[in-house]
Amino acid sequence: MKKLKIFIESVLKFMALGGYLIFALIPLYWVLVTSFKGPKELYTFPITFFPKSLDFENYRFLFTFANFGIYFRNSLLVSLGSSLGALIVSVLSGYGLSRLSSKKLSNGILLAMYLTQMIPGFLLMLPLFLMLSKFGMINNLFVLGIIYIDMVIAFGTIMSKGFFDRIPVSLEEAALIDGCGTLEVLYRIVLPISLPAIMAIFSFFFVNIWNELFLAVMFLSSNDKMTVPAALNSFISKAGISWGVMSAGLVVALLPTIIVFAFAQKYIIAGLTEGAVKE
Amino acid sequence: MSRNLKLFIMVLPTIVLLVIFTYIPIGQEIQIAFENYNLYNLSNIYFNGFDNFINIFTSVDFNFVQIVLNTVIWVVVSLVFQFTLGFGLALLLKKPFKGRGIYSGLVFYPWAVSGFAIGLVWAWIFNGQFGLINGILMRFGIINQGIGFLSDPHIALASVIVVNIWYGIPFFAIMLLAALQSVPEELYEAAKIDGAGRFRRLVNVTIPYIRPTIASTILLRTMWILNFPDIIYAMTNGGPANSTNTLANYMIIKMYSFYNYGQAAAIGFIIMSILMIYAVIYLSIFSRLERGVI
Repeated sequence: MKKLKIFIESVLKFMALGGYLIFALIPLYWVLVTSFKGPKELYTFPITFFPKSLDFENYRFLFTFANFGIYFRNSLLVSLGSSLGALIVSVLSGYGLSRLSSKKLSNGILLAMYLTQMIPGFLLMLPLFLMLSKFGMINNLFVLGIIYIDMVIAFGTIMSKGFFDRIPVSLEEAALIDGCGTLEVLYRIVLPISLPAIMAIFSFFFVNIWNELFLAVMFLSSNDKMTVPAALNSFISKAGISWGVMSAGLVVALLPTIIVFAFAQKYIIAGLTEGAVKE
Repeated sequence: MSRNLKLFIMVLPTIVLLVIFTYIPIGQEIQIAFENYNLYNLSNIYFNGFDNFINIFTSVDFNFVQIVLNTVIWVVVSLVFQFTLGFGLALLLKKPFKGRGIYSGLVFYPWAVSGFAIGLVWAWIFNGQFGLINGILMRFGIINQGIGFLSDPHIALASVIVVNIWYGIPFFAIMLLAALQSVPEELYEAAKIDGAGRFRRLVNVTIPYIRPTIASTILLRTMWILNFPDIIYAMTNGGPANSTNTLANYMIIKMYSFYNYGQAAAIGFIIMSILMIYAVIYLSIFSRLERGVI
């Protein structure tokens, strides 16, 4: 009886795990299948669940006629550049806040950062757009990159401060007595032992910035400046973009963050759950 | 230069950026909410009191009551299912098994993808003619004509919520799994000796122990879902007939399609007010939680 019960339980567990897996992978399966379907097969009835032959036409169209190479490059540039910039800025401020001797001051600043976390990016895009267009600073990838830095640094500061708080100050005191400067201590002693946190923060930044849509649509008007999400958004209303080409574009949009997640999963999960669980 | 001053200077770039690109724009947003501000008529910007709000509340094309109701349904239903399914997944993943690392990567990846891009993928899956779901239902002979998942106002909201649930499961699973792993094994042993079955152990040991994580993730996620127009924007943009429109998406429509910046800012002001009230509730619940009252 007991054996039977264990057997049934493990079958049920296996089925539940399988159910979650299928649900999670459905969109990935379908977007990949669609992206490899030829124009005829795409709109045949009844639909096919697997492409009859791998057709790369959609990808060819995407990178030639639809100029997707440029969008991809723009996205990569902005995401990597902004993530790196934001990482430097927020590691500095996280460390500063963590080591400031006035707890009143550092808690006050921290609260001001928490407050910004409540405000979603799309709420700010209108005033930002009006403000920057006065100075002729729209349709500019560099300016958009600065805004992206602003969007993520509060989070980065909060997270890195939390991490630096747990590094004992005694490690740094010896170096300070030896005459090392504040920056040198950060660079030589604190950062090398903070690599997991830095990996987590950088991955967060990259994922968030790579996926950002609304500001990019509002700020980038010319074709050669668009990022991948903005370009996909313009596909929606563009004639002559089939679901096949769209799917190829979506694969290009989805893959980079999935790859980042695959490699940094351990750090991301550690970063996400940090502080959420009481010890 | 004192060490404290140096440390403060390190924080300064962040403060400056946040003031210029977040705090000042919030102030302007509030100002624009009370102005007649239309891209088509930029020479005629003036203070118009509560006109933007009155126009939003009385609009016939975009019924405000319906939009608020949609927003509530969108938040509550998404949250309930994201939480239950996420909790279920966390429980399944608690005990180690072969391949658990790879498996969790394959079910957690939705956390990292673009809501907009995945919304478009799901729109294609839900397509009324060539979509995957209609294709499967027809293959098994359950239906013989495609269902307009996103074009039928009665089921469009349910369809976009399904996608939001899909998107949010990993967040809860990741957070709750970490919390589950922090429950001391002795507590379970003690409960077992007392003769508590699996369900009793879950209700009497696990849930009380991870209650702070449950409360904080739900509170955080409520705010987050409220502010998340990406999936709806990609799949229906609020349609058909306003049936999937939420406050966040409504603001985008006013900006992108009508260029009515005054009204868009007014909707933004409403969202901000809700967030503010919510933050107060959040903080009071949280401080009670810290004191162990809840």
